[in-house]
Amino acid sequence: MDLRLLRRFDPWLLAAAVGLLAYGLVMIWSAAASGNTPDDPLESPVARQLLFGLAGLGLFFLACFVDYRLFGHLAETFYAVTIALLALVLLVGDATYGARRWINFGPVPVQPSELAKLTLILTLAKIFTVHQDRIKSFRVFGLSLGAALPFLALVYAQPDLGTDLVLGAVWAGMALMAGVRLRYLLGLGVLGIAAAPLAFRYLLRDYMKERLMVFFNPMLDPLGAGYNVRQSEISVGSGGLLGRGLGQGTQTQLNFLRVQYTDFIFSVIGEELGFVGAMVLFGLFILLLFRGIRAGMLAPDDFGRLVATGIVVQIFVQAFINIGANSRLLPVTGIPLPLISYGGSSLLTTLMSLGLLESIIMRHKRLEFD
Amino acid sequence: MLGLLRRDRRWKPEKRPAPVNPARQARLKFRALQGIIILGFLVLAVQLWKLQVVMGDYYRTLADNNRLRLVPVPAPRGVIYDARGNLLVRNIPSFSVAVMPADLPRDRQPEVVRRLARILNMPAAEISQKIDERRRQDPFSPVAIKDNVDQKTAFIVEENHESLPGVQVQVRAIRQYLEGPLMAHILGFIGRIDAEEYAELRPQGYHLNDQLGKQGIEASYERALRGRPGREEVVVDASGRKVEVLQREDPVPGNNLVLSIDLELQRVVYQALKATMGRSDHAAAVVVNPKTGEILAMVAIPDYDNNLFSTGIGTREWEQLLEDPRRPLVNAAIGGAWAPGSTFKLVTGAAGLQEGIVTAGTVIYSPGYIRIQNEVNPAVPFIFRDWAALGALNFRRALAMSSNVYFGCVAGGCPDQRVRGLGIDRLAEYAHRFGFGEKAGIDLPGEVEGTVPSNDWYRRVRGEPAYLGDVYNAGIGQGEVTVTPLQLAMATAAVANGGKLLKPQLVREIKDAEGRTVWRLEPVVRREVGVRPEYLELIRAGMRDGVTSGIVTVVNIPGVAVAGKTGTAEWGPINARRYHGWFTGFAPYDDPEIVVTVFHELSQGGSFTAAPAARQIFEFYFGRKRG
Repeated sequence: MDLRLLRRFDPWLLAAAVGLLAYGLVMIWSAAASGNTPDDPLESPVARQLLFGLAGLGLFFLACFVDYRLFGHLAETFYAVTIALLALVLLVGDATYGARRWINFGPVPVQPSELAKLTLILTLAKIFTVHQDRIKSFRVFGLSLGAALPFLALVYAQPDLGTDLVLGAVWAGMALMAGVRLRYLLGLGVLGIAAAPLAFRYLLRDYMKERLMVFFNPMLDPLGAGYNVRQSEISVGSGGLLGRGLGQGTQTQLNFLRVQYTDFIFSVIGEELGFVGAMVLFGLFILLLFRGIRAGMLAPDDFGRLVATGIVVQIFVQAFINIGANSRLLPVTGIPLPLISYGGSSLLTTLMSLGLLESIIMRHKRLEFD
Repeated sequence: MLGLLRRDRRWKPEKRPAPVNPARQARLKFRALQGIIILGFLVLAVQLWKLQVVMGDYYRTLADNNRLRLVPVPAPRGVIYDARGNLLVRNIPSFSVAVMPADLPRDRQPEVVRRLARILNMPAAEISQKIDERRRQDPFSPVAIKDNVDQKTAFIVEENHESLPGVQVQVRAIRQYLEGPLMAHILGFIGRIDAEEYAELRPQGYHLNDQLGKQGIEASYERALRGRPGREEVVVDASGRKVEVLQREDPVPGNNLVLSIDLELQRVVYQALKATMGRSDHAAAVVVNPKTGEILAMVAIPDYDNNLFSTGIGTREWEQLLEDPRRPLVNAAIGGAWAPGSTFKLVTGAAGLQEGIVTAGTVIYSPGYIRIQNEVNPAVPFIFRDWAALGALNFRRALAMSSNVYFGCVAGGCPDQRVRGLGIDRLAEYAHRFGFGEKAGIDLPGEVEGTVPSNDWYRRVRGEPAYLGDVYNAGIGQGEVTVTPLQLAMATAAVANGGKLLKPQLVREIKDAEGRTVWRLEPVVRREVGVRPEYLELIRAGMRDGVTSGIVTVVNIPGVAVAGKTGTAEWGPINARRYHGWFTGFAPYDDPEIVVTVFHELSQGGSFTAAPAARQIFEFYFGRKRG
């Protein structure tokens, strides 16, 4: 372990991550204030999130002191384990809200689709790096798509369309960064649009269509499928410029807003801390993402650059889709807001990804001659 | 994939030659990514600005609409006392389980209904149906799923409120009628407002879940008993539970009623009637104060237990009550009319005297029957029988002995005895003056008018005017004349009090919750009957003679001078020998305090069954007075 590496450690990246983590903890604490407190304080969502956060920071430091290139060697292992877990979750997973997304390992529920995001990033980075010399070939394009497809299919089977969207975006972002022919991507895009009616007919499950319908008109079923959409919109809107104050949001505290620790945590922020609170959150995300981009720019090799790209795209797309769904801009797809939403799997993999970014920064070329 | 794995052995990224100018290209792409990120957050920020700053007030209102609710606070319903301060009905708490459809998300309904069905032990389909119906009507008004659940069940529902969104436990007051059947016909009962009533009463502030009086005093004094409901502005959570009360407008409790009914007397009347009614399907008795029109006791049989309605009457019990051919829900004292028999001679006699048909001294000889010219076929005479060959009778004696011939002659005329007869129309006019053929106007729902036949009536019903035989029959309260026990009691009171037909009243006083009297009974004279006092005096004397030396001696009791008249009216198929038994009378003779009227639908005769019942009533009333 080379301690000199520490001098290149990017404190801003860590600060942004810890800031977001703390922000999320405060909001979970506020949202949980009105609920029933469990007998065991360690069972409370805040305590659990804090524990996962600390464990995640452990993973973060572990990842930054390991040479990120090691993850390239481990890509196949990651790939195999992830595929196995994704298959397992379909067989033995716990169903919530009609989807199988969790496996219970003891008391800790594991969400393999979170791991799938990181695995896909590593796998694609490796494929694109290995085939850098023939990057413009259709073969490499097809290979990368072929590597992503099993993930997309297994996640779709859960069903979890939101994660598929993120995985797709990550693949497209990384492919563009790697230098795949734009033509292929555009062609695929055109094909996708042409197939959209068929996809709507055969690929979208009923609940997905319902979500789409209520996105366009929540009053179709204000107490049913449209309820969450409607209530999150009201929560965010009623926050106004400065918010109702921590612990003061009536939508949150009186439970009109549901799943408030996870998918709709941003609505809690919107209601209790208002527009200003949301802008602070945006600032932290932009800082985090820009430090991630910096890692990509400093990366000494294609692999590092691509990994950084994947991670940045993943976090950005997740944040955008989640906040968009919380503010009536996008339909609800049910993906967590990175570092903010309650949930161990997401927190652990996100912090580990950020550790990877640190690892890339700490090993960038120019400083090797210091 | 396999390709990837095979190439893996050459995986040495650090030794690969740098691609052509990759850093510059990558830098450009990263700049673009930065741009996309900024653009993305900018789009989100604009949307948030729109929602939170531009439309913030609108959403704030929606959030308030979510949590703030105006909830009606029911007013405690007034209670009811008897004349001596005995409590007759009170309010006791009862738990009911209700569902507010607006607080129950549709997608969770099946699961919640299943759970609730298990707790309440009732079919899920029934619960679902109630919720769905209310959801269409008014989803913000809770619908009662089950009333009168026990405390344990209420507790279980309350405990599990997290898994039972929209389900509420309501504590509401129900009526406990302390005397049950004894007072059921008078007090009546309350029940849930039905759709028709709701449509009519909504402007007066009634809600879908309100109860209101359906029968008896509960119905006729609904306005006084109800009070004014208050309102609460409350904060509710998403499952509809009250979290905080912001404002409260207290309800105004309903007024309390003091009845003129004397519970102790009522009980005696009830027992006397039950003991004497034999195999009668119906029986009734009314005790009224002839000076004021106050009803002191009123019993009708068959009866029912009005507490059944408080605890939520089951469909089967309800159908049983409705399908019983004796119609126990009908108050026979006001809701049934029967031929009055000889008690009607009070009217015939008063009319005969006032119209100069007879005087106190007019003597008519009863050989036991009279022969009357048949209008249709003069060859076949019509025989009108007396109950015995009573001989020569003056007015007073004729009343005391209840001569059919005498009063038949007064009504229809006896040319051979130089009596001209009133005719059916004049008889009908006097019957009306004494309050027959019209509702007495008692403060209870369900009164009937009875029948007073006239030539018009016969023409309307039969197509031709009255025959002479009809007139004779009407004169002695047979044939088509029917009266309610209450009508007869009020007519008797008019005889006793010197000619005032009073409105019968059950409520002596209305008091507010603090005990202040807001209304006190005043006697209401419906009309003067228009018969000179000395004629009424003569009728009273005849009634007194009937008790002392006539055919009503069974009520001749020591210590109090009773005057009375019995009646025995034939009914049913001709020659079936079935009789109604009546008694109507008053006491004391010289200053009447009470009028007692007793009716048995099936009797060997008024003197044999009704008069003995009246005797028990008089004995109790005056015995208690003497102490």
